[in-house]
This record gives sequence, structure tokens and C-alpha cells, in this order.
Amino acid sequence: MILGALYNGESLLPGQIGHILILLSFVAGLFSIFTFTKAANTGENSWNNLGKVGFYLQSIAIFGVIGIIFYAMINKMYEYSYVFEHVSDDLPMRYIFSAFWEGQEGSFLLWMFWHAILGMFILRKKYEIGPHVMATLLMVQTFLSSMLLGLYIGTGEEAIKIGSNPLLLLREVMDAPIFSNPDYASLIKGDGLNPLLQNYWMTIHPPTLFLGFASVTIPFAFAIAGLWSGKHKEWLTPALSWALFSACILGTGILMGGAWAYVALSFGGYWAWDPVENMSLVPWLILVGGVHANLISKSTGYSIKTSYLMYLLSFILILYSTFLTRSGVLGETSAHAFTNMGLEWQLVSLIGTFLALSLGFYFYRSRQIPSPKKEESIYSREFWMYIGTIVLLFSGGIITASTSLPVYNKIQTFFNPEFIGAVIDDPIPHYNKYQIWIACFVTVLSSAALWMRYKGFGWDKMKHKFMVANAAIMLASVAVTYLMTFLVDFFEARYFILNVFCVFAILVNLYLLFPKNWKSLKSLAAASSHLGFAMMIIGSITSGLNEKTISSNPFALTGLVEDESLAKIITLIKEEPFYSNNYWITYENDTIIGNTRFFDIDFREVDEKGNTLDQFKVHPNVLFSNDMTKVAASNPDTKHYLFKDIFTTVPSLPASQIDVELAKEVEDSLKYELYELTVGDTFFLSNCYGIVQGISTDPNNKNFLKENNDIGIQVDLKFNAMEKDTSYELKPALGLDKNLIYTYPDRINELKIKAKIPDSFFEAYFTEEAKLEYANFDIGNNGSFDYLDWTVQMVGINTSPTHKNYVAEEGDIAVSAQLIVTNNKTGERQEMEPLYIIRGNKPMVVKEYNAIDGLHIKFYSIDPSVPRFYFGTAVDKRDYQTIPIQIAEEVPRSDWITLEAVIFPGINLFWLGSILMMAGFGFAFFSRLKTKL
Amino acid sequence: MKRNHILAMLMLVAAIVIFVNASGDIGTYYTFEMANKATSAVKVNGTLDPEYEIKYDPAENANFFSFHMLDSKGNSNKVIMTAAMPQDFERSEEVVVTGNFKDDTFIATEILTKCPSKYKDEELYIRSES
Repeated sequence: MILGALYNGESLLPGQIGHILILLSFVAGLFSIFTFTKAANTGENSWNNLGKVGFYLQSIAIFGVIGIIFYAMINKMYEYSYVFEHVSDDLPMRYIFSAFWEGQEGSFLLWMFWHAILGMFILRKKYEIGPHVMATLLMVQTFLSSMLLGLYIGTGEEAIKIGSNPLLLLREVMDAPIFSNPDYASLIKGDGLNPLLQNYWMTIHPPTLFLGFASVTIPFAFAIAGLWSGKHKEWLTPALSWALFSACILGTGILMGGAWAYVALSFGGYWAWDPVENMSLVPWLILVGGVHANLISKSTGYSIKTSYLMYLLSFILILYSTFLTRSGVLGETSAHAFTNMGLEWQLVSLIGTFLALSLGFYFYRSRQIPSPKKEESIYSREFWMYIGTIVLLFSGGIITASTSLPVYNKIQTFFNPEFIGAVIDDPIPHYNKYQIWIACFVTVLSSAALWMRYKGFGWDKMKHKFMVANAAIMLASVAVTYLMTFLVDFFEARYFILNVFCVFAILVNLYLLFPKNWKSLKSLAAASSHLGFAMMIIGSITSGLNEKTISSNPFALTGLVEDESLAKIITLIKEEPFYSNNYWITYENDTIIGNTRFFDIDFREVDEKGNTLDQFKVHPNVLFSNDMTKVAASNPDTKHYLFKDIFTTVPSLPASQIDVELAKEVEDSLKYELYELTVGDTFFLSNCYGIVQGISTDPNNKNFLKENNDIGIQVDLKFNAMEKDTSYELKPALGLDKNLIYTYPDRINELKIKAKIPDSFFEAYFTEEAKLEYANFDIGNNGSFDYLDWTVQMVGINTSPTHKNYVAEEGDIAVSAQLIVTNNKTGERQEMEPLYIIRGNKPMVVKEYNAIDGLHIKFYSIDPSVPRFYFGTAVDKRDYQTIPIQIAEEVPRSDWITLEAVIFPGINLFWLGSILMMAGFGFAFFSRLKTKL
Repeated sequence: MKRNHILAMLMLVAAIVIFVNASGDIGTYYTFEMANKATSAVKVNGTLDPEYEIKYDPAENANFFSFHMLDSKGNSNKVIMTAAMPQDFERSEEVVVTGNFKDDTFIATEILTKCPSKYKDEELYIRSES
């Protein structure tokens, strides 16, 4: 690029260092793979040390690239394409992290960052199979670093792209006329972060999810290490700890995504079986299956093959999930996917490489993997845990099969470009109908199987107790579920059955935990996660099946469609209470803070007699785009109770409030009529009559801000509706700010009228300085003079004056004359203080103006020897006979919002259950930290 | 027979049952002509017909909007939806509607739109369900 020298203001150094570091991370990675492989195969420590050097070099390079991107972002170096796309001048610093991982390259770096951190922990542990683990981890890490290389093999259209470099300059990726300007770097402004993502969830969800993704690599690497070294038992203990950690973090990351969708986005739920959601869930399901197989293997020696396969598969599915979300293959079937980066083939080869590696190692060793000859007893814990693992695998398989439909379609189009792809007609019921039965299985297995011991130990003695206790708890569960029907509807038998199993699982887990087992962290961990899962499912039954729209408006759609429950939205006019489903709902006010507009909405729940049962306020809001020209997103607000949530969102607003362009369209469509009026006139419109009450030079129109306007004028009008006895005030105004006249229209929504004053009136009322005719006076100390109707009396001199139009500078000599001005007609007196200033030997004046009388006074000079004070006075011409007012009728109302309000009963059970489940994995992880990792 | 084989067979049977059962849940995108003959809810994909205005007046009824859509064959048909209009609907490039015909009007129960974003190369997907 010889052109480089032709541009000014570009900071090229960070980019150049970054390019070197990206290359270094790749090369150091290759070196480290080679040396760790040597160390693994020879067992020589020197190779291991070289491997460590390579790993640390690579990690430093990755941290360096991340640091450089942050440096460029913080310093707003828009010449870099990645900075241009994700940062803008108005982006608050707290969103800099969100901006960093908004793009694909940044999120790859985040993933690699966690790999590097996890790798350091593995090195510290000095595992015997450490070199094998590190070699595998580095293969993954180095493949990911190739996603940032940004190399092209070949030229032109057929070039194969390897990676996408996050440090390319904007002019290298875009062709635009602005690049013909050598100073373009100082002229461009970044696009900024999508307002939908300017949210603290965007700060915490991606790092957690990517730590989850990165941590799935570790059990995978241990599985490969086990196969590679042939030490089929040694890897099981450390792999289990890492898998528990991973299940906890990945699960938390997924749930955070659900919480984000529910709390901050207007999706109206926490889970929608969207492909992107599904494909982060499936690796987790498989990983959890792996944890169970791993427990069996560690305790009994059974299921080692299954442990291998589950860990290998969970990682392959992470890669598959990466492919689906980042390749654009999901197309219109997903509500949230990354932009296509043009690296589909590289992503496919990423999956292919590690699938081949996994299968290669597995089949190379499969005959040697130990497994007991005798089959496990049917009354043993390991047998039912194995069944549970298979059920999780099966569940993941079904979800993956359905989610992959767009992939089958894509493959078909390679053979037949005319192929019309199939889609799932209604995804939510489709997924639910299978997963309901899987959940039933899982709940029973995760409770009843806990009675049993490994290898069926002591079964004969407890057989009787098992049967009796389980039967009793099952009966109790049916009874509890029956009692629940008084509070919630189950609608269908299958949900009733599922609920029975969930209650059963909770009770059995509690029964087994008390009175004494809770002291064991491992038992507590198992109970917490199994019970949490069951509770989560109950929460999703109560909140999902029983969600109830408060804001239904059944009259709006009568006769149009059969299902009138579809009408979920009501229109609220400001300050007019609306009754809907036992609630009086009132839109009270709205406030703009930053680029968010909050609505204050009052809910009052009443009983049949109209007594207030409960009252609360919610503040849903809409978020404007970064340039404030249009509404970018609608954010809900939720009122939380212990047993229910009330979720509210504002789906639409009047056209004039959504978008500057639409507002202009609405304004242009109004038909203003000009009325020539005088104070005291009464005039008639089609639905009302108005009276001109007066003119004021101190406007209180709500959009008129005194601090922004030098002077202003307002016409006060009063309107009465024809039929009703209500009157309304209308206060159109004009203001002057830095020689520009601003119009402040006013409206009465109830009468659908809007009025404004034409600019010409401002000029007629206030005379321009150039057109004023000043009369000159000079007086002695504390003298006075008469000008037309006014008497001006000087009362003193102020040597340290202040005035809103005067900004003091060093070296100024400023004095003001303190004057009392009496209007001889009205008898009103006013203090005025014109200024006389000498700045650098030049005299200046700052005049005083009385807007009511239209009187201007200037203090011209002082003759100190006598002393004598020189003044000039002038008065506005006020040459108008009538006050012109433009009034439009039939103006669309702008004082309403629409509202959707939904009750989610029992949703806290879902969240509490999820937290317990994740805490269970956490407990299990910590219980194993105490022993040996 | 080993227990693993029995398990594998059970899973295979379950998988086949589910596969057969699930094939009823999937369908291709219809054209308006095909949708008019369909008895259950179907999906039609296409684009907004610029010849016609999108009608939505939340002040009047926030749960109703109507527009004309061109299907994949380029035939235009009126679509009504009984829900709030999704944001940026008028700017959407692709529209997928789910629903069925009543007389000559397609009544949509769900709409999925794909919008070009002002953010470079990025596309926002906006989902609206009723």
C-alpha cells in the first residue's frame, strides 16, 4: 500500500504491531503444538518446556491484539474498520467491552482469551498427561487464531479467504469517495454500538458464555489425552472437575441469555427454541451427560467409552453451534445470529478437523478401552445413571436434528439450486412435545436412581423401603399437583403428568438429603442440581402455560378473527385511566434521560366492588438511535412479586414520536389556517371556540427554555369545547437564540388542534437593532432624564457588574449605571443596568432591554472629569394591528402510547430452580477442588 | 443379546417414531395460490408490495395492521395481522407470514421480518408473534 503515505492523521503503528502479533499467535501456536506433541510422545521435559514457551508467547500475542483493539477503540481511531463499525463518539465508556465483542472477530478473541487463561491453570496443575492436554488445547486455540489471519490465497474472485483480520483499515475494506481526501481520518465518525446491545447484559452475558465455550474444550482435551496416552483411567478424575466447572459456567451463560431476553428485551419470554439458543443448549446437555458417564467410570469402571464419546461430542457440538451462528446458514429462521463473515469453509473445516481427530483417536484406541465383562446390575446406580446419560444424548440429538433443518436445505441446494427448503411451521410446540417426555424421564431418573448404590450394593435390604417410600412420595406428588390446579391451569394431561414427576423429584431429593446427608457437599450438589432442574420445569409450566395478558382489549377485534384473545395491546391516552382485566391502567407521564424515553404507568388492581387491592408503577421505555432521530428499541419493565411477574412493554407510539422523518411527514400533512386576531377576540373553530387572552414576553410554553433564548414572545389563548364545559390553555411561542428565530408550537390533544405563530410577528414586535432610532442623553452624577413615556433616574455606579450577555475577560474595565426606569403611563418601576466596558483601549457597550415596554438603554461613555454619563435610548416600534396565529384542526393526537402487559405466574420458580441447578454444579466442582483436581 | 443392543434398538425405534411424527411439523414456504387451498396454517414468504400502503393506526386499534405482500411467484395479496406492527416493518426486505386465508385476505398469526440495518453489513431480525 504505497498510498499509506498519502493520508494524514492515521495511526498506523497499532495496526502494524497487531498484524505481527496475530501472525505470532498463529506461528507460536504451531510451534507449541509441535513441541507439546513431542513432549507427549517422548516424555522429555525439555520439549515440554519449549511447548510452554510457545504457549505463553501465543497467549501474550493474543492479549496484545486484544489490548491494541481496545486502545484503538478507546482513542476512537475510526480509520480502523473494526473501530468504525462498533464505536462512536457518543458511546459511553461502560459499553466499550460490549462494543469489543459485538463483532465476530472480537468474540473469537474473547473465546481465545479464556482458552489462554484456562491453559495457564492446566500448566500449573502439572498433570501427568499435561503435554497431551496442552497439545490438544493448542490445536483448538491455533485453529481459532487462524480465524483472524486475514490472508488471501489466490487472487480475484476465486481467492480463498483465511480468517478475518480485526485490524484492517477502513479504506482497505471499503471503497468510498471519502478516501480521495488525504484528511479523511479526521472526517469520519464511527457507526457505534447497536442500541439494542447498549445494556449491561451485553457486558456480562458474552464473557460468561464464552468462558463456558472455552471450558468445554478442557474435558475434550482430557478425553483426547486419555486416548492418545492410552491411560484410560487417569484422565477421568481431572476431566470430571473441569466438566463440572464447564457445566456450571456454560449453563449460567445460557440462562443469562434467557434472563436478558426476558428482562431487557421485548421478546416476552426467556426461551423460544430459537436455533441459536438450541445450539448452545445441546452441547451443555451432552456435557452434563458426560459428567454422569464420567461419574460412573470413576466409581465403577463402567461407561469409559461413553465418557470419551460424550466429551468429544460436546466439543464438536460447540464448533457446530459456532458454525450455525456465524455462517449465516440460519438465515431468517433465527432472531439472533452474527453477521456473515465469509468464512463458512473455514468453519466447516474447523468442525471437520476436530471431528476427524476425535474419531481417529477413538477408533485407534477403542479396542483397548477397558470395560468390565459383566453387565451392570439393573438395581445399581450406574445402570440408571447410564440410562440418564443416554436420555440426555437422545434429547440433544432430537433438538439438533430439528435445528439443523436449514443445514439440510443448504446442502440440498448444492445438488439442486431450485430446491425449496422446508421449515418448521411452529417451532415452540414442535420442540416442547418431545422434550416434555424427556423431562419426565430425567426427573424420575434424577430422583429414584439416587436411592441405589453403585454396583447395586445393599439393594436387597432396602428394596422394600424403596418401593414403599417411592409409592408414598408419588401419591403425595399427585396430591400436590392436584392442589396446584386451584392456582394454575395445566390444560393438558401431559403437563399434569410432567408436574407430578417434577414434584416427585423435588420430594425424593429432599427426602434423601435429610436428615443427615446434607452435610456432604457431594450429596448437596447432586440434590441441588436435580431438585433445581425439577423446580425449573415447574416454573416454566406455571409461567409459560398460565401467562395471562392484562392488556387485552376484546372489543377491538370483534368479528374479525375467531380467536379474540389475540388482541394483546391497548392504547392508553395520557392521564385517562383504562380498565382491563381487573386493573385500572393509567399512562401518567414520560421523561427523556439520555437517549431513553421512560413512561410512567400506574397499575391499580381492583376487586369486583372497585376496592383497590394493589397499586404499583412500571417504567417501560423506548430507546432512540444514537443520533436520536428514531426509536431503535422498546425495552420492557417488569414488576416482580414473589409468586408472579407483571411484564410491560410499549410496542408502538404515535408516528410523530417515533421518527424525525415521520414527524415531519405528519407536520407537513397538517392544514394550517391563518387567523388575524387582537387581544380579547373570540373566534370559532369546528369543535371549539378560542379567546385571545394576551401577549407575554416571558413564555412558559413547555418547550421554551429560558436559558436557550435571549428573548421570547408568547400568545396566551384559551379554548372551550363546544359541547363540554372544559377549557384548555394554548400557548404558542417564538424565541430568539443567536439571531435565529425558533417556533414553539402548542397543541390541545383533546381538541385535536395545534397552533404556531409565524416568524413575521417576532420582527413586528421586536425591532431589529439596526432599525432602532436612539435618542442621546447625558446627565451628571445621579441625574435623570425623560424619554417619551419613561423617566430614567440614575442611582449609582457598579464597578463589578454582571450581565447575562457579558463574559468578563482579563484586563477589562467594566462599569454599569444603576438606573431606575419609571413608566409614567403605568407607574411601573424597573431597575436596569446597562454596561460600559473598555477592553484593550476599545470601548464596548452591553445594552439593557425591557421586553414588556420594548425599551432599550445603552450606556455609551463616561467623562470622568466633570463627571458626566452618556446614554442612548430607543423603543420597539411594535407596529402590528393584529396578532397572526396559524391553527391546524384535525391534528392526530400525540399523547398516547400502546401497552402490552402480561402476568407470568410462578416465574421465580424457574429462576430459583436454575440457580439451584447451577449452584449444584458449582458445589460439585468445589467438593472436588478440595480433593485433587 | 446385550443390554446396550436393546437400548440402541429402543432408541432407534423412538427415533423413527419421532421422525415420522415430526415430519408433519415441517413444511415448505407456500405461495398465496397454494395457501388459499390449504386447510391449516401455512407460511408464505415474500416481500412487501410497494404499490400499496401499510395501514396501521394504533390510535384507532393497536392490534391491527394490514399490508400487501408479493409472494415468491410475485403475486400480490392483502395480509392482515391482529397484533402491533413490528418496528421498522416498512423497511423490511423479506417477510414470512404464518396464517391462513379467510375469503380473499390472508390472516397472519405470526410475522417474521428481516430488515437491513443502518449498521454496516449487519442485519437485524425482528420477530413478532401474536
